[in-house]
Amino acid sequence: MKTWRRSLVAACALLALFGGAAYAQAPGVPSVEFPYTGNRTAVWIVAQLHILFAGFILGAPIFVVISEWLGYRKQDPRYDRLAKEVTKVTVILYSMTALTGGLFIFVLLATYPQFTTWLINHFYLVFAVIYPLLFISETILLYMYFYTWDSWKGEKKARHIALGVLLNLIGTITLFVIDGPTSFMNTPVKAEGISPQEYLATASLWDKIFNYSWMPLNLHRLVGNVTFGGFVAGLIAAYMYMGAKKEEERAYYDWMGFVGNLIGVGALLFLPFMGYLLAYELCDYDASICPYMMADQLSMFFEMQGAMIGLIFLASNYYIWLSMKRIEGVEKVRMTILAPIVMVVLPLVMTKVMTDYPVPDPTSLAFLLPLLLAPFLIGRFIPLTVSARTVIKVGFLMVVVGDAIWLTPHGFVPTGAKLVAELELPSDWNFLALMPAKNSAAFTLVFVTVVNYVIYNRAIGQGTIVWGKIDFVSQFVLVFLAFSAIWTMGLMGAVRSLLRKYYHTYNLLPDFTAESFTPTLSYSAWWITAITVVFYAVVSFAILVTLRPSDSKGHAPEGSPVPAGAK
Amino acid sequence: MGNVIKKLVIGLVVGGVLVGVTRSLEFPVVFQMMFFAYAMLGAVVFMMLDAPTLKPMTGVKSLIVLVAFYLVICTAFISGASMWPQYDPEDEKGKIDKILKPKRAATELGKAEELIARAKALDEQAKALAVRLKALGADQPAKDQGAGTAASPVTGGAATGDVMKVGEEQWQLQECYNCHKLKGEGGKKRGPELDNIGSYLTIEEIKQKVLDPKSFMAEGFEKEYEKGKMPDKYKDLMEEADVIALASWLNTFKNTAVNTPKPIKKK
Repeated sequence: MKTWRRSLVAACALLALFGGAAYAQAPGVPSVEFPYTGNRTAVWIVAQLHILFAGFILGAPIFVVISEWLGYRKQDPRYDRLAKEVTKVTVILYSMTALTGGLFIFVLLATYPQFTTWLINHFYLVFAVIYPLLFISETILLYMYFYTWDSWKGEKKARHIALGVLLNLIGTITLFVIDGPTSFMNTPVKAEGISPQEYLATASLWDKIFNYSWMPLNLHRLVGNVTFGGFVAGLIAAYMYMGAKKEEERAYYDWMGFVGNLIGVGALLFLPFMGYLLAYELCDYDASICPYMMADQLSMFFEMQGAMIGLIFLASNYYIWLSMKRIEGVEKVRMTILAPIVMVVLPLVMTKVMTDYPVPDPTSLAFLLPLLLAPFLIGRFIPLTVSARTVIKVGFLMVVVGDAIWLTPHGFVPTGAKLVAELELPSDWNFLALMPAKNSAAFTLVFVTVVNYVIYNRAIGQGTIVWGKIDFVSQFVLVFLAFSAIWTMGLMGAVRSLLRKYYHTYNLLPDFTAESFTPTLSYSAWWITAITVVFYAVVSFAILVTLRPSDSKGHAPEGSPVPAGAK
Repeated sequence: MGNVIKKLVIGLVVGGVLVGVTRSLEFPVVFQMMFFAYAMLGAVVFMMLDAPTLKPMTGVKSLIVLVAFYLVICTAFISGASMWPQYDPEDEKGKIDKILKPKRAATELGKAEELIARAKALDEQAKALAVRLKALGADQPAKDQGAGTAASPVTGGAATGDVMKVGEEQWQLQECYNCHKLKGEGGKKRGPELDNIGSYLTIEEIKQKVLDPKSFMAEGFEKEYEKGKMPDKYKDLMEEADVIALASWLNTFKNTAVNTPKPIKKK
């Protein structure tokens, strides 16, 4: 797409934004009725698509700059090529972000005019001034960053990296700013003893932005975007690997898939805790949100989330396993016996400790930190070791156990009101459904993954990586990881939105339409899958049009058996 | 193939042991099946770990396999989500209507809708009367009117019954059962059990607690009180008549056999 066309798309999006604000001033505007989907699902589809594109264009530049910097520092051209290829796809998807953003505002205004007017009025400065200015700045910086790639090299490379850092800074601020109205809808400002309406009338713009869930949402989305960007980079690599005709191309895209997965998994390790922080703040804001999430209408959504995260951890560890298989000399790698022992005892010990010292009591750390660090700190003094293969297999067993704990519900019912003895955990085993057990499951998954990467790191230190020779099934694992991460984003996006119950803005502005009920998980899954498929189709198309033509240009040969130390 | 059979046998054995153990521990059947499924998941994972290497594919073949893979994932995710127990939105729709009705009536749109509804009802009554007048003659309406008047008075007993009904309905609508146990149902230890609350608090005091959660603290719930676990929102969400009805209904619970913690007045 030419620059002027991209600019036109961005201008259209801004026009939609300002036009929307103007339209919102018209009193008594009637709403339209979307056929088949209904209004709420129509808004859901467009909003989720917009968030997926926005998530990628905000997350990808973070590791693009890191990759570019690594390439500059290590003088390894592969990092620079990776950064540039992901940026090419980002530029195309940037246009899609603007397009879906404009569409989102149009659909929102057409379906919920009164609410949209109300929200825009409360955040007028954000919607009409701050956000458009940030968007314009980001557009300029992104295109500058992309188009100066080839000219700002050599001595000017540091300048180019600085531009990338600035791009990320503006991107992060944009995310934080737009999270203001989004989080406000979930947790509007309130004060004890005053009605929310009265307090809102006196609240400043900053009060409205700096609400209970704003910072947790910022952190959750920031980390989530990096995870998402990493997995989509893995997807790009998988597509290109599958289409590669030359050995050196396969070697490069094998390497790129590994780096994408590494970044995705690295950020993923923090994601459960960021999600926990967000949920904690939401429950702190209004304790009735907690049972709605965990024991009532949305409880099965969280079961599905547990299943998805379990699958993602299984797949990412399976990818490490496949990556290890292509390292020559891996069979010599050994690890202290403490590592598998800690893996096995961790769920049990952690459940007990966190039951006795629940979050946020720091006493639990006095027990857990020594246990978690034992293999790394005192492991070297213990002569008993086991092979890397054994450690990883024990790890897989514990990932399955962790998944099982995470997935075990208090009862097989969609709401606590329907709980009967035949569908409920025996009371002696009820601890399996409580937060300490769920936290221990999450920690087990994270710990196993960290140990696997430590083993991988040792393996590349002692052996030789044969890039391009990875088991072909690994490319499907990369595809699966990206698809599952996007699907989970869709699921949790739906959950966050549904937490407002029958309100547009929780406890403030009721949704009087007939669609303000909680949809079934099955219905939601159909739409989440459809949204993911549409997003995937667009991303696949973007990869095809941006990266396939570059095949013929050729690149500096990389790959072939590379000494691990050179990585 | 030997790898698959070996792992399958191990999975079946582990699954069988888990089913046996959970049955002896009196886990419901659905949980026994779940543990068996976990064992089979483990078997599949270990089958994949030792599976032979997949040879690279190119061109149309890789494209077909990729599309098929996407179809499998989509089917697995949709069917996986559909297998969990599904919440019936019909259960909620009636509740939402009842909760939002007074709020909607307070809006301009609600007022307009109410006027239209009233006009329609009057129009229908007028039409019905006209039909009757035509069919029965001029003296009949006076008798009908008299009969209607005689049937309308509401007895005091019926009104009390209505208040109790509204109170119980509010318990369900506001989902108090999510935190408080009553009649052996609901509650997750977030709030005190309320079967004996009527012995401690008057209707007026219960009303005060609902509208201002900081006004009373249940003994043994100091941490929950400090954290403000009980939402301070019902004064904005509920109509006063509904709060009184809920308080009146709760005040009838005087079951001394249940250890309802003593409320301590704070304000």
